Amino acid sequence: MSDDGRHSPRARDGRAPDVFRPGGWVSMKEYSDHEAVDFVIVGTGAGGATLACKLAEYGFSVVALDAGPYFRPLEDFASDESEQTKLYWTDDRIVDGDNPLQLGSNNSGKAVGGSTVHFAMVSLRFRPEWFKARTKLGYGADWPIDWREMWAYYTEVEQALKISGPVNYPWGPPRPRYPYRAHPLNAAARALARGCEALGIGWTETPLATLSAPRGLAHPCVYRGFCVTGCSTNAKQSALVTWIPRALSAGAEIRDLAMVGRIETDANGLAVGVHYHRQDKWRFQRARNVVVAGYAIETPRLLLNSATDKFPSGLANSSGLVGKNLMAQANQAVWGEMDEEVRSYKGPPSLAITEHWNYEDDGKDFFGGYAYMSQGPLPQLWANTQATAHGLWGARLVQEMKRYNHVVGLKIVGEMLPQENNRVTLADERDQYGLRIPRVTYSWCDNDRRLIDHSIAFMSRALSAIHAKNIWVQEDDTCHLNGTARMGDRPDSSVVNADCRSWDIPNLWICDGSVFPTVGGANPSLTIQAIACRTADRIRALSRLGEVNLN
Amino acid sequence: MLAASVLADSAVEHYRGSFKNKAMLTPLIVAGLTLAMSLHGTADRRPMAHQARDASYLSAAVTGLLGTGFHIYNVTKKVGGLSWQNVFYGAPLGAPMAILLSGLLGFCSERVRANGGRRRHRVFNLPAGETVATVTALGLLGTSGEAGLLHFRGAFHNPLMALPVTLPPIGAGLLAGAVVNGGARPRGLARWWMRLLVGMGFAGVGFHAYGVSRNMGGWRNWSQNILNGPPLPAPPSFAGLALAGLAALELMREARNA
Amino acid sequence: MLDRNAERGAGDAYPGYDVLAKWRGPSWNEKTREVVAARLQVGDTPQFLTAEEFEILAAVADRVVPQPCSRSPVPVAGLLDRKLRAGVLDGYRAKGLPRDGEAWRRGLRALDAEARARHDRGFAAITDADQDDLLRRCEAGELDAPEWAGMPSRTFFKHRLLRDIALAYYSHPTAWSEVGWGGPASPRGYVRLDFNDRDPWEAAEAKPGREADALRTNRNVR
Ligand SMILES: Cc1cc2nc3c(=O)[nH]c(=O)nc-3n(C[C@H](O)[C@H](O)[C@H](O)COP(=O)(O)OP(=O)(O)OC[C@H]3O[C@@H](n4cnc5c(N)ncnc54)[C@H](O)[C@@H]3O)c2cc1C
Ligand code: SF4
Repeated sequence: MSDDGRHSPRARDGRAPDVFRPGGWVSMKEYSDHEAVDFVIVGTGAGGATLACKLAEYGFSVVALDAGPYFRPLEDFASDESEQTKLYWTDDRIVDGDNPLQLGSNNSGKAVGGSTVHFAMVSLRFRPEWFKARTKLGYGADWPIDWREMWAYYTEVEQALKISGPVNYPWGPPRPRYPYRAHPLNAAARALARGCEALGIGWTETPLATLSAPRGLAHPCVYRGFCVTGCSTNAKQSALVTWIPRALSAGAEIRDLAMVGRIETDANGLAVGVHYHRQDKWRFQRARNVVVAGYAIETPRLLLNSATDKFPSGLANSSGLVGKNLMAQANQAVWGEMDEEVRSYKGPPSLAITEHWNYEDDGKDFFGGYAYMSQGPLPQLWANTQATAHGLWGARLVQEMKRYNHVVGLKIVGEMLPQENNRVTLADERDQYGLRIPRVTYSWCDNDRRLIDHSIAFMSRALSAIHAKNIWVQEDDTCHLNGTARMGDRPDSSVVNADCRSWDIPNLWICDGSVFPTVGGANPSLTIQAIACRTADRIRALSRLGEVNLN
Repeated sequence: MLAASVLADSAVEHYRGSFKNKAMLTPLIVAGLTLAMSLHGTADRRPMAHQARDASYLSAAVTGLLGTGFHIYNVTKKVGGLSWQNVFYGAPLGAPMAILLSGLLGFCSERVRANGGRRRHRVFNLPAGETVATVTALGLLGTSGEAGLLHFRGAFHNPLMALPVTLPPIGAGLLAGAVVNGGARPRGLARWWMRLLVGMGFAGVGFHAYGVSRNMGGWRNWSQNILNGPPLPAPPSFAGLALAGLAALELMREARNA
Repeated sequence: MLDRNAERGAGDAYPGYDVLAKWRGPSWNEKTREVVAARLQVGDTPQFLTAEEFEILAAVADRVVPQPCSRSPVPVAGLLDRKLRAGVLDGYRAKGLPRDGEAWRRGLRALDAEARARHDRGFAAITDADQDDLLRRCEAGELDAPEWAGMPSRTFFKHRLLRDIALAYYSHPTAWSEVGWGGPASPRGYVRLDFNDRDPWEAAEAKPGREADALRTNRNVR
C-alpha cells in the first residue's frame, strides 16, 4: 500500500508536503527541541492552524504539533468511506451518561488541519445576541466578547476561506458580500427550500467553505459529495489548504504524527514546553508560551493529564471547570422519501439551510435556537443510520436501502445548554502512548429535549408539505463539541479570559472550540477561527505592552 | 459567426439539461439552419434576397423570442423564483436573445443584398448601416450583460474577467456615437474598437480553455468540465457581433461617401 | 471476487448497473482503485477470528443483510474480520463494552452459547427463524448467559453487531450497485443535480414496464 503519511512523519528535514501538488514539497523552517520558541501550539485544526498562521505572520516563532498525519488530498484521499476513516480521531474513548455521545467519524479529526479536513464546510456567523445569552436571552452564560468585534473577525475569516454564499443573507445584521457566489442547489436542497416556502419561512443557500470558482492551485468543487470523508479536489477550504500553507510561508514549523502527552510547568507555575511522542520517542519542545488547541475532548484531557503537585487537579483548573460544561449540538433528523429521484449524494451535503428558528423567538418553549439543513449521506453512513437509528435489519434493511436515491432528509444543528455534569474526565485505562484515556459523560436536560421536540415536529411538517412519504425521525444524534474550558470575565467562573489566556498560568493559552461559553444553533468552526484571529491580534497587542512572556 | 457560437453553446447547455424537453432541440435546428443559410448566402453570388434565407432568419428571430419566454418560465417555476440562484444556474435568460440577434442581423444583411448596387442601402426604409449598427450595439450590451452575470457567478476571480463587461459596452457606445454623429472620426474610433472586440472574442476562448483546465482533472475530465467550467463557445459571440458592427460601419461609410 | 457476468434478478432497481464498469474512467482515481482492489481480494477465511467464531459471524451477517443467490455474495464476515485485524476502532465505546475486537469475540461466543442452551446446536446450525428470534432477543437486551460477562447484549447488538455488519456490507461495490449509488467520484464528480437529473455516468432506475431501457442505459455507464 502506498505511504499516505500515516506511518512516518512527512514534515521534517526542512520541508513539508505541498498539498496542491501530488508528491510535491514546500520548504519549511525548523526549530530544535532545545530552542525555546515563542509559541508551541498543540493541534492544527480550526483553532490551532489559524492561530499558528496569524502568529507567524506577526513575526513570532511558532511550532505547531499534531498527532495526525500530513495528507496531500489530491493523491492520498480515496473516494471511499471506509478508507477515509483514517481522517478521524479513533483512539480509544469511553462514552457514558444518559445520552452517550457518538464520537469518531461523527466528531473529531486527527490530521494536520484537524476536523476541518472532514467537516461539512457550513460556515455560519452566530446570532449577535448569543454573545450575551445570559443578559439578553436569559440562559447559559455571557461571552466576554462583543458581537461587533466578532463581526469584523468573521469577515476576515470569510475572506481567508473564500466562502461561497448567497448574494444576500436573510438573517441578522448586514454582513459584507461573501467572496464567492453560492453553489448550485441539488435536489435535496430544493426539497428543503420547497418545505420552507410551503410553511412560510425563509431559507437560503448555505454559506460553505468550498470554492465555486478556482482559487490559485485549488480547483472548484466538482459536486462529488464526499466532503465529510475528505475532499480530494482541494475545493474544500480546510485549514490544511488555507491557514497551514500560509503559516509555513510565514515561517511556522508544523510537526505531524506528534502526539503531545503532557505540558511541563516549572516551580514558578509557568509553562516551559511540551512532551510529545514522535518517531517512537518521547521528546520535549521548549517554549515561552504553550497554546492548547486539541478540540473539546483532547484539550481538557491534556490539561488534566498534565497535573503536578503544584496543580494537582490539572493545569488552568483553579475554577474546577476544566472538562465541565461540555456542549454537543443536537443533530436530530427527519427523513422521508420522494417520488422523484433525489440522489442526494451529489454535491456538498448541506447546500440549503434555514436559520429561521435561530432568529425567531416567538412560539418557542425552550431557550436557544436551531438551524436545519438538507442532507446527503453516502451509502455506509446511510446504512448505519437505517440500522442503528431506524432499527432496521434483515430484508427490511436491504429493501429500504434500495430506496436510497429517493431519500430526503432535514437535520438540525441545535443549541444545547451548558451543564457542569456534562464533562470530560480521565478513565483509568490507557491508550497506545500510555496516557489515560478520556471518559465523556453526556445527558440531555429538559430544555435540550424541548428544543429537539420542537425541531422534529417542525421538520416533519416541512417534509409532509412537500409530499414526502414514509417519514421517520432520527432521534439520537449529536454533532460538534464545545465548552470544557470556557472563557469568561472572572477566574472563578471560567478557565480563560477573552484573550483565550488561562487565568492561572499566564503563558498558557487555549484556542479552539473548548472556550465557548454557549454554542448557539450554528456550526462552530467559523467562530472558532474568528476567535483565533482575535486572539492573535490580542497577543500582538499585549506583546507590544510587554505583557506576553517572550524571554 | 454568431450563429455558430450560439449553436455550439446551446448544444452544450441543452446537453447538460439532457434535452429533457423536446423543445430544447429547436434552437439547435434553428441555429444550425441560420448557420447553413448564411454560409449559403456567402457562397451565393446572386444579389436577390433569398426567400429561404429570409424565412430561416425570421424563424431564428422568433425562436429567440420564444426561447426567452421558455427560459423565463423555467427560472420562475423553480423554487426561489427569480432569485440569484436560479438566474445563475437555471436556464440563462439572455442566451436565446443571441439567436434572435443572429436572425435579425441575417435579415438585415439580406435587405442590404437586395438593394444590390443601389447606393443607399435601406432596411424597412431605414438607412441600413445605422440599423445594423443599432442592432449590434444592443446585442453587445445584452451579451455583455450575460457575461457580467456569469462572471459575477465566478466572483471575477481573475481580473481579466472584467474585460467582457467593460469593453463591449464601450463599443456599443461608440457604435451609437457613430450612428448619431456620422462623422469619420467617431466611425474610425468605433471601427478600431470593433477590431479589438473581435480579438477579445477569440482570446476569450483561450481563457475559457485555460479555465476548463483549472478544474479538477483538467481536460482528462472533459465530460464534466466542458459543462461545469467556463463555456468555450460563448466568447466568439462578441467576435460575431463586432464583425457585424464593422460591416455596419462600412455601410455607413459608403452611404456618406455616396 | 465479483462475478461480473452474473445477470441480476428481475426485481433489480438498477438492472445491469455496475459501479466497477467505471473503474478505468474519470470517476476513479488511483488511490480509490488501490483500496477497492484490496477489498475485492478479501475472501471467506478468517485472519482475526477463529474458524468457529467466523462461522457464527457469517451466519449472523446472513440474517442482518440477507443476499440474493442470483449473484456472488459480498463476503461480509471476511470484510469485518479484516477490519478487526487491522485494529480500526470506532473511536468510542459505550461503558460496559470492551474494545471492538474483544467485544466481537465475546458477543459471538455468547450468541453461540445462547443457541446451544435453547436448541442444543450452535448458532450457525439452527434455523433461520430461530436465528432471527435470538437476534431479536439480543436487540431487546433479553440475553444474559454468563458468556456475556457483563456486556449488555442490547448495547452489543446496536453499537457493534448492527453497525459493523451494515458498514461492512455497504463498503462493497456490489452493494453500491444494488442501491444505485454513483460510487467513487474523483476527479469526475457530477453536473446535473436537480430532481430526476441523471448524469450519463450514473445508474438509471428501472421504471415499471421500462426495465429494458434501464438495462440498456446501465450497460453504457462508464
Ligand atoms: C463530520 C463533521 C462535520 C462537521 N461539519 C461542520 C460544519 O459543516 N461546519 C462547522 O462549522 N463545523 C463542522 N464540524 C465541526 C468542526 O470541524 C470543529 O468544530 C472544528 O474543526 C473544531 O476545531 P478545533 O480547533 O477545536 O479542533 P480540531 O479542528 O478538531 O483540531 C484539533 C487537532 O488537534 C489535534 N490534537 C488533539 N490533541 C492532540 C495532542 N494531545 N497532541 C497533538 N495533537 C493533538 C488533533 O489531531 C486535531 O488535528 C464538523 C465536524 C465533523 C466531525
Ligand atoms: S462536493 Fe465539493 S467540497 Fe465536497 S468533496 Fe466534492 S469537491 Fe470537495
